Amino acid sequence: MVKISVLQHAPATHLPSRPGDPTPTSRNLDPLMHPFAKARERTRALNAAKMERIFAKPFVAALEGHIDAVETMSRRPESLTVVASGSWDGGVIVHDIAQRTKLLHVEAAHKGKVSGVCFADETRLLSCGTDRNIKLWDTKSEYVDENGAGPSEPRKPLSIFPGKAAFNSIDHHRTDPLFATASSIVQVWDENKSAAISNLTFPTSTETISAVRFNLSESSVLASIGSDRTFTLYDIRTGKAERRVIMQFRSNALSWSPTFPTSVLLASEDHNLYTFDVRSLNEPTHIYKGHVAAVTSCDWSPTGLEFVSGGWDRTVRVWKEGVGTQPEVYHTKRMQRVTSTLFTADARFVLSGSDDGNLRMWKAKASEKLGILDSRERAAMEYRDSLKERWKFDPQVGRISRTRHVPKPVHKASQLKRTMLDARRVKEERRRKHTRAGESKPKAERKKVVVAEQT
Amino acid sequence: MDALFAKADAIRPISKRRRTASSKDGHRSKKPSASKPQGESSSASNDLTLTSVVVNTKLPKSLRDKSPPTESVPQYKHIANKKLRAQLTRQSAQTARSKALVKDAELLLAEDAGLVQVEGDMEKTWRVGQSEVVQAAGEEAARGRKEWTLDGGPYRARYTRNGRHLAVVGRKGHVATFDWQTGTLHSELQLRETCRDITFLHDHSHYAVAQQKYVFIYDRDGVELHRLKSHVEPTRLEFLPYHWLLVSVGNPGYLKYQDTSTGQLVVEHRTKLGACTTMTQNLHNAVIHLGHQNGTVTLWTPNLPHPAVRLLAHLGPVVGVSVDPSTGGRYMATSGQDGTVKVWDCRNWKGAVRTWQTRGGGADVEWSQRGVLAVASGGSVNTYAKPAIQTPFSGAAPPPLYLTHPIPHRPLTSLRFCPFQDILTVGHSAGLSSVLVPGSGEPNFDSSEADPFENKRARREKEVKSLLDKIQPDMITLDPEFVGSLAPPPKLTTAVDDKSDIPYARLPRFERLKVSGKADETEETDGDDNDGSDEEGEGKKSKLSKAEKEKNKMRGKNKSLKRYLRKQRKNVIDPKAVAVRDRLAKQREERKRAIEEAKGNVQTEKSSALDRFKRSS
Repeated sequence: MVKISVLQHAPATHLPSRPGDPTPTSRNLDPLMHPFAKARERTRALNAAKMERIFAKPFVAALEGHIDAVETMSRRPESLTVVASGSWDGGVIVHDIAQRTKLLHVEAAHKGKVSGVCFADETRLLSCGTDRNIKLWDTKSEYVDENGAGPSEPRKPLSIFPGKAAFNSIDHHRTDPLFATASSIVQVWDENKSAAISNLTFPTSTETISAVRFNLSESSVLASIGSDRTFTLYDIRTGKAERRVIMQFRSNALSWSPTFPTSVLLASEDHNLYTFDVRSLNEPTHIYKGHVAAVTSCDWSPTGLEFVSGGWDRTVRVWKEGVGTQPEVYHTKRMQRVTSTLFTADARFVLSGSDDGNLRMWKAKASEKLGILDSRERAAMEYRDSLKERWKFDPQVGRISRTRHVPKPVHKASQLKRTMLDARRVKEERRRKHTRAGESKPKAERKKVVVAEQT
Repeated sequence: MDALFAKADAIRPISKRRRTASSKDGHRSKKPSASKPQGESSSASNDLTLTSVVVNTKLPKSLRDKSPPTESVPQYKHIANKKLRAQLTRQSAQTARSKALVKDAELLLAEDAGLVQVEGDMEKTWRVGQSEVVQAAGEEAARGRKEWTLDGGPYRARYTRNGRHLAVVGRKGHVATFDWQTGTLHSELQLRETCRDITFLHDHSHYAVAQQKYVFIYDRDGVELHRLKSHVEPTRLEFLPYHWLLVSVGNPGYLKYQDTSTGQLVVEHRTKLGACTTMTQNLHNAVIHLGHQNGTVTLWTPNLPHPAVRLLAHLGPVVGVSVDPSTGGRYMATSGQDGTVKVWDCRNWKGAVRTWQTRGGGADVEWSQRGVLAVASGGSVNTYAKPAIQTPFSGAAPPPLYLTHPIPHRPLTSLRFCPFQDILTVGHSAGLSSVLVPGSGEPNFDSSEADPFENKRARREKEVKSLLDKIQPDMITLDPEFVGSLAPPPKLTTAVDDKSDIPYARLPRFERLKVSGKADETEETDGDDNDGSDEEGEGKKSKLSKAEKEKNKMRGKNKSLKRYLRKQRKNVIDPKAVAVRDRLAKQREERKRAIEEAKGNVQTEKSSALDRFKRSS
């Protein structure tokens, strides 16, 4: 007896049972049923990489108001939107970056440049300038019309703290009514007293302090950088400088990590950024190379996973913590040298203040879509991200997602820099080969940064 | 400050923690050691902060993988970087797990393939006729048995990829496309000129016809959309669905690839082998197989101006070529004008796997989705089932016959299996006949690839999706697995093997790793071994170092002869060379002795008066 059966598909299982129902799908995961699965996935990855670059439109808005370089920026604690900025023209502006309006505009807060601003609490703002004064302002909103013109008489500060030398930076204590300023020495002030309550300085220091910052976790620890290539740690309870590091080049800006209490980021004059673990100051934990001119400012993201830096090369770069190369690069035709940068408190945006007097707002992730995402869109985005991650070693996909267009001068400068560094490396190697220097191990790049460590 | 350090120690930054602990000399020792015992020597379990955090960092049980990790996961012990090692291990565990899951998913394949089963040796499957099969088949399946009696010469047919629609073309110019299951006619044309082939494009909404002079593209309703003037006197058409390429070959002997999404003629190859009437594609690597008048079969890709493989398959014209889709395109069947059918292994072209003669000469061949081979010879269609066709067999006997069906309308010009059905459609001079061949069709389709039950919306969506996933024509190669595989290690060596003066800083990365002893040689040796086994399969060969291999490699013309001569030359005893060699050996000996003496190891024997009688060596 021959047993015969012929394949037939039951339409009932493959067609929708009622009109309007979705058509049932069936799956067969046999690889023979999916020819070119890998090649097609690669095409999708390539498209994903291209789409990311197509959608990379990071510029959000420019906030005007200053008529000279924006020297300093600070965000209000416990607020996502309020940011204060001070400029070389002596003006201080408090911006609402969500509305893109000015909450406060003090035209001539200081004579000369405003070198530092920081919020004392929810409503009060501290500013310091080269006119040797620290001023405390009330930022409670007042009427400001569309042109930015406020009431007729200029706003008066709540109090003025006179100093002896021009101030370069100011930072407020996290909890106590204390703040620290940087001039030729570091001074700690009480909000209720008109003179500094203590002067902090490293015994042998004759420098000009350019920035001072309180640690975010251990709020009595203070760090400063100076023009004599130093980075100094103080404790305001003991009132002493604890440790000091002298480096090859001076640092321009300083930022404590919000999540790793001992990690500090320095923006250096030698085009690099360094993170130090203050427990071991003999070498940096990481070097971030990418700028082609001095880095003038830096700020951590509140998540501690990213940070932003602005440089003399007219670019803003967004770095991932622990990834020392290939940062995201932002630039525009009209943006001049970046003098201050800031991450917003929701870690989604980056602010940059530059020489041309504008405050620019950028997305922290260049190709991020602003606005509401529906779940299908989000799923598609996540799929694209994982495709890019999976195929990043494919030459074409990798090249597309790596390449950034930079202005021609920056590109030329980076080429030149690479050539010079390569030549230097080769020369060093030849020297080691033919002299007795070759008998010892070459010095690691990280060990070259710190010249001396003092306690 | 110490409070700060204590806090940081509790958080324990991933890599930084260890370094600070181990390099406690120098700066660390200077500090007051109030917080030290906690940060330093206490294990992780004692740390209160850590223990409180750890609970929240664990994955909940419901999210953890339930299946135990498989044993065969490779251990990357040779990789020093811990992070990388962990990542690789995780990746391969994930791959193993997903493979196991795919195996599990086979349980979900609902439908069973058709079959013809006999009891005992006395019964033969080939005795089963179509009437019996139709009787045994269900009502739906029995509708597949059809006879279309049509005027207008021998017919050719083509199914869409989902097997739902059929296009037929008669030699005299009768073209029809229809949904054969519902019997809906899409278009019917009388072109009144010679038509030689027809193919659907990506789906049933467009089709191309090889006509007297050119290839024409029609839409579903039979409206002529394009006349492809560059395809002159076409004889056969193929459509590569994942590359969106329409391929034609014709009487002038040119193979032309036209991109149907952009309309560009991608490439045309001159075969130099005259008119060609046999063409097929390998579904798994999109390579085009052509059979020629002089008995050669050539394999073509768009990026090579010459055939990737050229094979003398038959003594006389090749009339049929087909590639087995059920083995991933590993086997190819060809048939010659003289009635010889040969099955070839596409990995090893040395001789056919199996050869047999059919009666009646001039046979077309076609392989079904599940590996049933149909051979149209003389007045009947014979089918052969899977394992027997591909097992090597030295004799000239045909493999055991599976089913046979006589068709009294010679010649039988085309054979097409319907995808996802047990149907074989034979084109002949009196029209077309569909025959049921149980077990030829894949029972379980995948809706994302080809769905016989798809509706209009699904068809449109698939069109867009497949356009987005279009693979570039230059990605077609004989080995489709090269996409996403490791790049071969660079062949040129600059620094490691021979001493060149390229500074370390200017070496390529791989060489730098090699110099500093950090290169991962394991992958490379694997690749080399594979190469060796593919080419020669000699165990001895793979033990040679890379330099030796390069030295032995033959480059250019006539190098083998030169090498042969050089080797021969070694046996010639040249007295001059012998003398020189002796002298060198002597000098070497003396030098060695001098060194030994300088070290004071060997005492020179005191010369005695009797030395004069010593025989000089």
